[in-house]
Amino acid sequence: MSNAEQTMDLAAPNGFNWRPYIVRAGQIAFAVFLIWVWKAGSQSAGEMFVADPFKVWDRLLKIAASGELGHHTYVTLKISAIGFAIGCFFGVGLPFVLRRLPRFTDAIEPFIMASVGVPKYALIPLFILWFGINDAPKLWLIGLLVFYPVFIAIFAGIRGVDSRLINMARVVGASESRISREVIWNALLPFFFSGLKIALPRAVSAAIIGEFLVGNEGIGYYIEHSRQQMDVTGAFTGIIVATALVLIVNSALVYIDRKFSAWRPTDRHMEL
Amino acid sequence: MSVLLEVRDLAKRFATRAGREPSPWIIQGLSFSVNEGEFLTIIGPSGGGKTTLLNMIAQIDAASGGEIRFQSQLAPINDMKSLKPGLNCQIGYVTQEDNLLPWRTCLENVLFPLLVQGKLNDETRARAQTLIRAVGLAGWEDHYPHELSGGMRKRTSLIRTLVYDPPVILMDEPFGALDAQTRLQLQDDLMRLWNLGKKTIVFVTHDISEAIALGDRTLVLTRQPSSVAGEHRITIPRPRDIRGILTHPEFIELYQRIRAQVQ
Amino acid sequence: MATLKSAGGPSVGVFDAGRFTAKLYSHRDHILVLIALLAIWHGLSLLLGVYWVGTPWGVAVRLYSGLLSGELLRHASYTFSEAMIGFVIGGIPAAILPFLLRRQPILTAILDPFMVGGYGSPKLALAPLFILWFGIGIESKIALVAFTVFFIVYFATQTGVRTLDPKLVQMAQVAGASESYVARHIIFPGAVPHIFTGFRIAMPYSIGGAVVAELISANRGLGYMIQLRSMNFDTTGVFVALTAVCIIVFITNWIVNFVEKRLLRWRPPSDVTAQKE
Repeated sequence: MSNAEQTMDLAAPNGFNWRPYIVRAGQIAFAVFLIWVWKAGSQSAGEMFVADPFKVWDRLLKIAASGELGHHTYVTLKISAIGFAIGCFFGVGLPFVLRRLPRFTDAIEPFIMASVGVPKYALIPLFILWFGINDAPKLWLIGLLVFYPVFIAIFAGIRGVDSRLINMARVVGASESRISREVIWNALLPFFFSGLKIALPRAVSAAIIGEFLVGNEGIGYYIEHSRQQMDVTGAFTGIIVATALVLIVNSALVYIDRKFSAWRPTDRHMEL
Repeated sequence: MSVLLEVRDLAKRFATRAGREPSPWIIQGLSFSVNEGEFLTIIGPSGGGKTTLLNMIAQIDAASGGEIRFQSQLAPINDMKSLKPGLNCQIGYVTQEDNLLPWRTCLENVLFPLLVQGKLNDETRARAQTLIRAVGLAGWEDHYPHELSGGMRKRTSLIRTLVYDPPVILMDEPFGALDAQTRLQLQDDLMRLWNLGKKTIVFVTHDISEAIALGDRTLVLTRQPSSVAGEHRITIPRPRDIRGILTHPEFIELYQRIRAQVQ
Repeated sequence: MATLKSAGGPSVGVFDAGRFTAKLYSHRDHILVLIALLAIWHGLSLLLGVYWVGTPWGVAVRLYSGLLSGELLRHASYTFSEAMIGFVIGGIPAAILPFLLRRQPILTAILDPFMVGGYGSPKLALAPLFILWFGIGIESKIALVAFTVFFIVYFATQTGVRTLDPKLVQMAQVAGASESYVARHIIFPGAVPHIFTGFRIAMPYSIGGAVVAELISANRGLGYMIQLRSMNFDTTGVFVALTAVCIIVFITNWIVNFVEKRLLRWRPPSDVTAQKE
């Protein structure tokens, strides 16, 4: 409401709308301001604490050229993808199994919901203890972090599938497998995506955190290694790469979701 | 005319939850039959188990007693597991809500039954197009349900059932949620479509005028537990003028008789 | 529900007995699962050895002795206070900012991509930075928690401010309410449920953030305890510390729910699934 008012105020008499340009200019100005704060911070606190933004940029170009950046990114993304696939497999599959076992579901539901509250990251040392210093503890961590949001979204989605639509499909002669594919799957897609939106960026973050504690390659390793070597520029560079990676994954997901769900009015009208 | 669908001594109560009083009978001792090509309308008080009745005939809800025969064959209605929804596509069901699949366009929704029955070919596609034009949906085929008005959604769900031509069609207050003008329009459409094919239709409503205007015969149901309170043959000649019928002398007389029976 | 039906009270006529059996029955399933889980846990520790998996009983004993000696409570209170202080430092400004920005759509639009970026960024990856800046003490953990909590609460509050029914605002304006009156009596109460949704989501993250930062580098706290004990291959000890973390999470959840229930008595009870995640 206030948005609309403001737009009208700013619209020039000839109807030209300046607002998007003002916003864009403001965003650029704010970005420049942040970089300036960063630069000023590095000068006042010293480069031992805040790396110089321009040196970070140089470092970024350097490791990109040497292939180091590509290698670490590849390692991190690979382990995220594998862990994500494992977590997704169980997160999607389990609700479909539980759908057929209502009594079992009722019995274990409170335990599953209670286990949601366990901070998964705190389990890393235990995983390391059990599975050693290789990819396994990271995969467990990523798998668990992905499993929960996907499981909860799909579980709620299956419960929320309109039984009237299923009855309709049965009456017109659809087979059970057709119903699973057509009605349940399509009705689940929005839930699946809302789970994915949480899970996929988490998988990448979890890989990075896992690499802090275990391993000798990957973005997380690069950050932690640089920090231990007192290479502040390196740590900053790594963190920037990590943030960019997660944000790219995020926006890619938002884009795909929009393409897939053209039939939905908008998120706001979606009945969850 | 031969009897196509027969309901005898049908009874229904919902399952008793442990530790509760037994739930009341919703339907008890309900019997009627429908002839081939007949348009039967059923009137009952709201909340009187009309939807439950149709659900049982459509085989998506189990009965607690009695039997349903289709073409003299006994339908398995006594427990949820053995139900055959739609009885192998022989019973079509136009529900109260349109129940369109929101991720399919208007045309794709209409074609859905043909697709799942493996009957999608040029001939049936042409039939679907004819029906779409007949109800005035031409030009809306590629719109998603949320982009259609209530009346258009209703039309879509109506022809989704007509398109695969089941021998019996059940209709559960299909026009209940529409405004008066749209409802008249749709009643008109339905009459026209029915005159083309003379399907067997069981049409449930709580609107007495609608029941008389559309039906060959009207059943009046009692309050819970539902059973048949009365039966009225409607001999107003067809084709009928839905808008003008309200002043027909037979209509007025029927209306008062039925009115007295609906408690 | 299907379970209850199949359970079928044998004596439908005796209401109380039927209800009691039904209640016992539904809980019996839960108790059975709990026993099964404990049995699996115990079985695993027998199978693999206490060295790899501590027995449930051993964990219970260590938990009790840890509580008695005060060691566990001391570490837990570090973690708890890091999480709480960070929660307040990050959460309170985040709950206020959207109200200040409500009448500044251009400023909001300018800040939006930065906020979205901050929300989506892997905050735990910043832990090394905070440790670098604030040392391995309590301050770096507070900073990390505050940073994590801020964006979650900010967006929850913003949703609350935005989705408020414009008709309510118009109604108040038509009735002659001043702008500040509208803000205080219509927009704020309307947004409170959303703020609490943000709090509820952010609370586990604050504990988790504190623990992760302690895992990476610390000299006290439950995360440090977990790390130290796992390095000494003391699995039972790790289990005890993990249990303590879980207990803190449940307690803080309970606190948020309790405060919310007190403040929002006018609200119809919301559905449970919306609260998860």
